[in-house]
Amino acid sequence: MKKIVLVVSVLLAVYSCKKAEGAKQENTTEAVSSETPKSNNKIVTLSGGITEIVSALGHEKEIVGTDVTSTYPESLKTTAKNLGHVRSITIEPIMAVNPTLILASDKDINPELMGKIKSSGIKAEVFKQEYSVEGTKKLIEQVAKAIGNTDYQKLNDKIDADLKQVQPLAKKPKVLFIYARGNMLMVSGTKTPMDALITLAGGQNAVTEFEDFKPLTPEAVVKANPDVLFFFSSGLEGAGGNEGALKMPGVSQTNAGKNKKIIAMDGGLVSGFGPRVGEAAVGLNKLLIENTK
Amino acid sequence: MKTQSKLYFYLTISTILLVIIAVWSLNTGVYNFNGASPYKILWEVIKGNENVSLSDKYVIWDVRAARIIMAILIGSMLAVSGTGLQGLFKNPLATGDLIGLTSGATLLAAIAIVLGGYFKQYLPEVIQFSLVGISAFIGAFLSMMLVYRISTSGGKTNVVMMLLTGVAITAIGFSITGFLIYISKDEQLRDLTFWNLGSLAAATWTKNIVLGIVLIISYVILIPKGKALNAMMLGEKDAQHLGINVERLKKQIIVIVALMVGTSVGFSGTIGFVGLIVPYILRLLFKSNYAFILPLSAVCGSVLLLTADTFSRSIVEPSELPIGILTALMGGPIFIAILIKFKKSL
Repeated sequence: MKKIVLVVSVLLAVYSCKKAEGAKQENTTEAVSSETPKSNNKIVTLSGGITEIVSALGHEKEIVGTDVTSTYPESLKTTAKNLGHVRSITIEPIMAVNPTLILASDKDINPELMGKIKSSGIKAEVFKQEYSVEGTKKLIEQVAKAIGNTDYQKLNDKIDADLKQVQPLAKKPKVLFIYARGNMLMVSGTKTPMDALITLAGGQNAVTEFEDFKPLTPEAVVKANPDVLFFFSSGLEGAGGNEGALKMPGVSQTNAGKNKKIIAMDGGLVSGFGPRVGEAAVGLNKLLIENTK
Repeated sequence: MKTQSKLYFYLTISTILLVIIAVWSLNTGVYNFNGASPYKILWEVIKGNENVSLSDKYVIWDVRAARIIMAILIGSMLAVSGTGLQGLFKNPLATGDLIGLTSGATLLAAIAIVLGGYFKQYLPEVIQFSLVGISAFIGAFLSMMLVYRISTSGGKTNVVMMLLTGVAITAIGFSITGFLIYISKDEQLRDLTFWNLGSLAAATWTKNIVLGIVLIISYVILIPKGKALNAMMLGEKDAQHLGINVERLKKQIIVIVALMVGTSVGFSGTIGFVGLIVPYILRLLFKSNYAFILPLSAVCGSVLLLTADTFSRSIVEPSELPIGILTALMGGPIFIAILIKFKKSL
């Protein structure tokens, strides 16, 4: 009985702290928002790439809520509510920011939430996202239409201009993307944003046997024998930096491990496949050139 | 008569408590009704006022109210199924999640979701939910038969066997469900967190209607069985002499518990320990008088789960904590307490 009382009191304490925090946060968010929005839309974007497109089209001020992958532009941190991970978002927090439009990607929205959004009566669009330059352009066009903006050609032109700066590599390096979250190590197969970006940047994915992400196994790493290991910056940091990466099972036996070729880029930039896809490809291309000399 | 009025007194008290918690829960959440009180909005919705904004109506009726009712229904059924099982096995450790019923239900529900995905969209919504519900019931029922067959002989249950069978079923269920989740890439299968820690976020009125029907059918049969279960405590032979059809009672409990656990798991995943905590607390108050703890666990289960769910969706706003974390946090210590208390008799 005492234990129950203890547990309940701890929960109550946590709960009341949270409440107080919440109250504080609300006060700070209202103080921001200097420019006036372009339209009366209040948009919730549930995917990093879509968030970037809406912002690049000049509608950043209309975004009232985003998911955890929407890390760019950084100014959104203060103007839009972070609703958490798209897999665990529930309907009420979305309703709480009073959106008039919800934009999501078919890649990561869960069907139960989709059902709830449909029955809530709020206008929602779920876009089919393909990880390719064409796919991005199509997505930009669709998102622009959804928010009532016809001036999207300049974004596509910028992507083309960026991609022109990608320099071909004499020998296509084999790149292994490792997704490190805590002690879980996953490697990227085909049909992922990393796979597409590696190809755009003039490299080749070291793994072609499977689609999507699969847990890393030492033997598979040795067999794939990548020339370069590729991480999200945050993931590499969490794994203990370059030192940690070299200690990962199997890595020491590969070309990348022997030559200590480890690169990292911002996760949002790599996986967004939004307006900055050209920039991302150029950035990765530069890193590959530096690391294959 | 005296005991009867005492029972009604306690039932009334706990029902009042449940109503108070429901009122608190209705007011808890991140959505703001433009300064209006949620109670007023709910009242307008019930009256059928057309002027309530669609968003307000949706949040209060289809999100909060639906979820509160689902917590009440599932909490009640989980607690009663625990109490019923403990009467059947004559042991305070028998609960749906410990003896593997929930795992069996999860496994078949998961299979139904993966295979049902191919033809589900052509079925009406009620049937869709029933498909998962029926599969979960079959899973729970098969697990129940297995546990009962393995652990009970001559009317005596070997507790160690009962719990170990539960461990085995849970292990098998976990591995196969994990495998299904691993191979089903297109989110047709809700992820492992849902199946292992449960969630009431997907509550809808359609689901509540199905749950409500299951609850009514189950309670009409099970709740009046308190005295019979008391007689069972004396031993099956003595109960037989008192004119109780023991075999029939056992069969009823097995089918109804499987039905309740199955449907609950199909809709909300595995929410553990409710069937352990509630009867335990009631036993502290009323000893093992099933005429009391059976009906009371129906109300107290709702109290427990609604409280846990309201915390789970408000403690880490705007996201939510899987509810199973909270129920396990409460249930773990109680499980240990029971073990210590019955150390000699296990």
